[in-house]
Amino acid sequence: MPPTGSDPARMNRKKGDKGFESPRPYKLTHQVVCINNINFQRKSVVGFVELTIFPTVANLNRIKLNSKQCRIYRVRINDLEAAFIYNDPTLEVCHSESKQRNLNYFSNAYAAAVSAVDPDAGNGELCIKVPSELWKHVDELKVLKIHINFSLDQPKGGLHFVVPSVEGSMAERGAHVFSCGYQNSTRFWFPCVDSYSELCTWKLEFTVDAAMVAVSNGDLVETVYTHDMRKKTFHYMLTIPTSASNISLAIGPFEILVDPYMHEVTHFCLPQLLPLLKHTTSYLHEVFEFYEEILTCRYPYSCFKTVFIDEAYVEVAAYASMSIFSTNLLHSAMIIDETPLTRRCLAQSLAQQFFGCFISRMSWSDEWVLKGISGYIYGLWMKKTFGVNEYRHWIKEELDKIVAYELKTGGVLLHPIFGGGKEKDNPAPHPHFSIKHPHTLSWEYYTMFQCKAHLVMRLIENRISMEFMLQVFNKLLSLASTASSQKFQSHMWSQMLVSTSGFLKSISNVSGKDIQPLIKQWVDQSGVVKFYGSFAFNRKRNVLELEIKQDYTSPGTQKYVGPLKVTVQELDGSFNHTLQIEENSLKHDIPCHSKSRRNKKKKIPLMNGEEVDMDLSAMDADSPLLWIRIDPDMAVLRKVDSEQADFMWQYQLRYERDVVAQQEAISALERFPTPASRLALTDVLEQEQCFYRVRMAACFCLAKIANSMVSTWTGPPAMKSLFTRMFCCKTCPNIVKTNNFMSFQSYFLQKTMPVAMALLRDVHNLCPKEVLTFILDLIKYNDNRKNKFSDNYYRAEMIDALANSVTPAVSVNNEVRTLDNLNPDVRLILEEITRFLNMEKLLPSYRHTITVSCLRAIRVLQKNGHVPSDPSLFKSYAEYGHFVDIRIAALEAVVDYTKVDRSYEELQWLLTMVQNDPVPYVRHKILNMLTKNPPFTKSMESPLCNEALVDQLWKLMNSGTSHDWRLRCGAVDLYFTLFGLSRPSCLPLPELGLVLNLKEKKAVLNPTIIPEAIAGNQEAAVNPSSHTQLVGFQNPFSSSQDEEEIDMDTVHDSQAFISHHLNMLERPSTPGLSKYRPANSRSALIPQHSAGCDGTPTTKPQWNMELPRKGTGKEQPPLEMSVHAAAAAPLSVFGKEPASSKHSEHHHHHHHEHKKKKKKHKHKHKHKHRRDGRERGRGPLAFPSPAGGRSARSPSLSD
Amino acid sequence: MADAAATAGAAGSGTRSGSKQSTNPADNYHLARRRTLQVVVSSLLTEAGFESAEKASVETLTEMLQSYISEIGRSAKSYCEHTARTQPTLSDIVVTLVEMGFNVDTLPAYAKRSQRMVITAPPVTNQPVTPKALTAGQNRPHPPHIPSHFPEFPDPHTYIKTPTYREPVSDYQVLREKAASQRRDVERALTRFMAKTGETQSLFKDDVSTFPLIAARPFTIPYLTALLPSELEMQQMEETDSSEQDEQTDTENLPLHISPNVAHLLFHPRLSPRRKSSTSACGSPLSYPVIPSKQQSPSPDDTDPSLHSLIRQILSYYAQALNQTLGCSRG
Repeated sequence: MPPTGSDPARMNRKKGDKGFESPRPYKLTHQVVCINNINFQRKSVVGFVELTIFPTVANLNRIKLNSKQCRIYRVRINDLEAAFIYNDPTLEVCHSESKQRNLNYFSNAYAAAVSAVDPDAGNGELCIKVPSELWKHVDELKVLKIHINFSLDQPKGGLHFVVPSVEGSMAERGAHVFSCGYQNSTRFWFPCVDSYSELCTWKLEFTVDAAMVAVSNGDLVETVYTHDMRKKTFHYMLTIPTSASNISLAIGPFEILVDPYMHEVTHFCLPQLLPLLKHTTSYLHEVFEFYEEILTCRYPYSCFKTVFIDEAYVEVAAYASMSIFSTNLLHSAMIIDETPLTRRCLAQSLAQQFFGCFISRMSWSDEWVLKGISGYIYGLWMKKTFGVNEYRHWIKEELDKIVAYELKTGGVLLHPIFGGGKEKDNPAPHPHFSIKHPHTLSWEYYTMFQCKAHLVMRLIENRISMEFMLQVFNKLLSLASTASSQKFQSHMWSQMLVSTSGFLKSISNVSGKDIQPLIKQWVDQSGVVKFYGSFAFNRKRNVLELEIKQDYTSPGTQKYVGPLKVTVQELDGSFNHTLQIEENSLKHDIPCHSKSRRNKKKKIPLMNGEEVDMDLSAMDADSPLLWIRIDPDMAVLRKVDSEQADFMWQYQLRYERDVVAQQEAISALERFPTPASRLALTDVLEQEQCFYRVRMAACFCLAKIANSMVSTWTGPPAMKSLFTRMFCCKTCPNIVKTNNFMSFQSYFLQKTMPVAMALLRDVHNLCPKEVLTFILDLIKYNDNRKNKFSDNYYRAEMIDALANSVTPAVSVNNEVRTLDNLNPDVRLILEEITRFLNMEKLLPSYRHTITVSCLRAIRVLQKNGHVPSDPSLFKSYAEYGHFVDIRIAALEAVVDYTKVDRSYEELQWLLTMVQNDPVPYVRHKILNMLTKNPPFTKSMESPLCNEALVDQLWKLMNSGTSHDWRLRCGAVDLYFTLFGLSRPSCLPLPELGLVLNLKEKKAVLNPTIIPEAIAGNQEAAVNPSSHTQLVGFQNPFSSSQDEEEIDMDTVHDSQAFISHHLNMLERPSTPGLSKYRPANSRSALIPQHSAGCDGTPTTKPQWNMELPRKGTGKEQPPLEMSVHAAAAAPLSVFGKEPASSKHSEHHHHHHHEHKKKKKKHKHKHKHKHRRDGRERGRGPLAFPSPAGGRSARSPSLSD
Repeated sequence: MADAAATAGAAGSGTRSGSKQSTNPADNYHLARRRTLQVVVSSLLTEAGFESAEKASVETLTEMLQSYISEIGRSAKSYCEHTARTQPTLSDIVVTLVEMGFNVDTLPAYAKRSQRMVITAPPVTNQPVTPKALTAGQNRPHPPHIPSHFPEFPDPHTYIKTPTYREPVSDYQVLREKAASQRRDVERALTRFMAKTGETQSLFKDDVSTFPLIAARPFTIPYLTALLPSELEMQQMEETDSSEQDEQTDTENLPLHISPNVAHLLFHPRLSPRRKSSTSACGSPLSYPVIPSKQQSPSPDDTDPSLHSLIRQILSYYAQALNQTLGCSRG
């Protein structure tokens, strides 16, 4: 936000703690959160917060806090009633009347709205005026206690209630509530400074039903029963300074498990799941030990709590000394597949406890450091736990992911610096959202951001060594833990915040190395590197001529200059060469060490020192080269396309010991469907020493090769004999052995092979009958009775295999699909699916994996025309009440149906679900899936694309999703996919007159903003006198709720609005202003007795449109009060009243203006006045903004 | 006189019976007994000082004596059988007499009275011979710990068994085939049954019966069914845990790339028994306890043990559903 005019935040920059400049004119030291009542039936919460702050400037008279969707009853500062204004521009980003429908316009407005309340810029939704009685107090920089009573009714975000509709008490029903959200979202459930950089100590009190348990951050000091013994109050104390964004809460009838290995760790789960909890968490202590050991630092908090809850927002959410997990991560000892996944989640959350919760960030642009470090140490844990192969495989996977994302959708910038001019050097790669703020980011971008962050940390490690890396972390942690034990007055707390510069400084201090180029390349700049490598062997010179080209012009790429490692495996051994990639040098000569020669029965040394015998008959007799690898250590964020002969890839696959190289070879071999490739892949598949994931990848590659070689393929279908040999009975090869999954390696292979086999096709492009019978036999003879482990994932994969075998139906003149013309093979498949799906009802499998696979398979059958395409089955499985995995699978099918059948009805059904579904994750996921598999795109003509849909989606992202950042960004993504950046093509062209008007204005305006409304506004702004003419076509108010909305016509407006607010905050207060503080001025006049009823007027939240209507009866008292207060203002004790005449003039003016507004319902007026105000009100008298006034109950004044 | 009368009576009865010309040995025995009793009655009358007695009174007294003795015999037999014996002992008689109101203590004195008359023993009539049952083999002698007065062992043919053998099906392939098809049949039958009796969905609009899908029913607490292992799985786990892994186990320990601790951390999660009842609001009356079966190999003669529990599970599921609908209609 670039606010114009004076900004109190900026003025205090120098007074902040060293190293960190607080954007606020005060410092928070302690906060009390007390929730006295939680009603599960009504889903409401009542409580208060008390913030202890120290002003850092003498003239502090407004305090801005964050609060969303809370209803605020009363604010007191040091026991004096304080007036407050509530305004949240993110509720409705663009005005609902605005006919503007282009995304550019929206995302600018949205970014402006978000930064208008961004705590990191010192802003907030809630603006509290310090009572004049306290000014003297403030001038002495003495402590202020802000007491805010608030309530929450049916929160749509921030707190999530899960209340199953069964009989019994809430505890018996397993009802629970927990806090959730994306990034800093604590403001959704209590007023606070919702910034990661504002640390304070905490006292948290929660009064809950006696059968419930409240879990929150810090130490549980005591639990006290209420007098009637029906409720309990949990008192938590968090003495380590923590930001509000890291505060969390979970309340429910939890079963409690004290970790048997570490007594300071407690686990909580929902009723009946205790055995699963025991098993799932039995591993956690090892993670603890690992992190504490590598960081040589004890876990910073005195306790740790894990809570497993249903309907989780994300699988893992880490908060100070507490992590909230999805209950679906729990598993029993019989489950193989989920075990490593769950452990990863536990380890991830624990890493974030150190970096993310304990150590917080200074600003959004420092987020990458925290995500990077936590992701990096999590990677170290992976390496230790699952082995180097798994680790390298994971790194490759992550690298591939980020590379694919950046190349497809644009760069990911880790350290966005916002300053003048900077952005022009680095044009925003993502035009449809702003990366200046976490809350405007696409979720996918944020996921990729985290991925890139830890990869970059790994690059830094490569540069400075792991030892130094860990030393840096240790230094950060020990600084922070020293700071955390200090008193607030020591001004040390800011050392618990990490910043990019601080981090880099500590790296250079510890390692003495300059990593600036690396940072510049990967952190300050977005994009990845795309290499093309090709080579020629010069026999005369015995030199390898390697040519490395770069593509740095496509979106998402950047140019790389610097060292690049190339490993060449020759007959005499493996040699590393470091090439300098420079501007213009494409060719690199690499001298070879060995002469080309025919095999002299000598063993060939590999990189790892191993010596192996190789059959060298396949290689080029003239060249000593076996294979070449470019950047084998993944030391650059890159994509490498390198050209090698097929035999080289085959050698690489067989003999290179690095799993990454093996996988690269496998993906390259897809292009070489030859018997030699087949042999190499089969060998790898059979080799038990080989990493199982490589073998799994080999299966799929083999299937592809077999399909390419279909005319020349000899012998049984690929992998069949291998599978038979490995997993079938010796005596009867058509029967699979009874399941025994003790060896996980072969388990994964056994699962995967049939799935890959089902992809085989014969000359008619059908799945060979032999393969289908084989898979059906596997299913038939599957026998898990003697197995220690559940076979649910295995059976699910068998269904996936069946689905893979399905080929498009031969359709005779488009007949309707009926049972009679069903292909006999498909009939068999369908029979299995039906049986499996029905058995699931009787004997459900873990996480309903089988149902999920069945639903997918049915969709495949539908899509291939074997079964009539019909979404009704999926819709019934997508209903609330099914397990979330089933719902997602069903929804995916509906999304696919919507696309294939272009069904408007289903699209509507999905969008309704996005708005109404009780589970936030499902809502998010629907949008996500629609974006990934859109019914149409911007470049496509579709009957679905119509004006109503545009309006609907616009409404969804504009106001329908204000309670969930992630959801709103998801809606923006979808809108972008469907309609693109500019005006959706299906909208009628704007009227001609306006176009003319536009062209005229274009020179004056921001060129990206083209709308008619803006044009009008801008005109008004530029030429205040002309506004009356334009009024005619300005959008009329249609809905009553807009009366409650703030004036947010344009981006420009919102900024003006903010700057206006800032103006308003300046002292001395004008009489005009005092009108807008009715409670304040009145409390000065009529001290205590009316305090109760006066709470209501100020409380009545103007901002909340979904408030239950209190009826007009209640509306009445506030009116009287405010009028009364306004009238009384001149008499009040304000000593600084400059001129009461001026005041009355303003008052009058104000009245007049509102009357006008009421009559015409025009926006323009206010706007114009604001401009006037800004022009005129520069002096000591800030002109009262109509917008501000309105949001502070001004409509009443006009009566 | 009495003697004469008695003898005359006896002779009379003898003649009468003789007149019946009964040649039945049992009848002869009966007559002999009656004659003896008449002699006894006559001698007792003589002893008591009677010189003569009418024939009718002698007959009456004989009847009385006979029924008295019969009663003693019947009662004594009951007593002896009561104590699981076949032969009455003295004590049985004593108890009987006491029971009948007879003062046993006076008996020795009465037996030793001076004026008692001794009558000659009745002529021994040959006992009717019961034909011996067919014996097969030698009866086993009593082992030393069984007293010899206990009855003998029954004939060997009553307890010796002669098993007959059918060639067992040991072919692995057939076993697996049978187990698989059995399982499949049961599953199919059950699901069809469920589908027939409940709501269904169909993939084909024109035909709802060929591939019926049991209608999806939302749960109130979906994660419970999704996460908790079913009873069947629990049972299997107990079985496999106790039995070592079978013949086909590859004992080579391949390096596990998944954390090796998974296997180490195995334990038995025993779910609280109330889980069934709490998943639905009303408890199931048909919650069968699962009896862990120790069946080790698939046998064609027994149905798969897991099928049993499967069926049980389905029944309880069904009962639950029934309960719910009942509960709903009631509520």
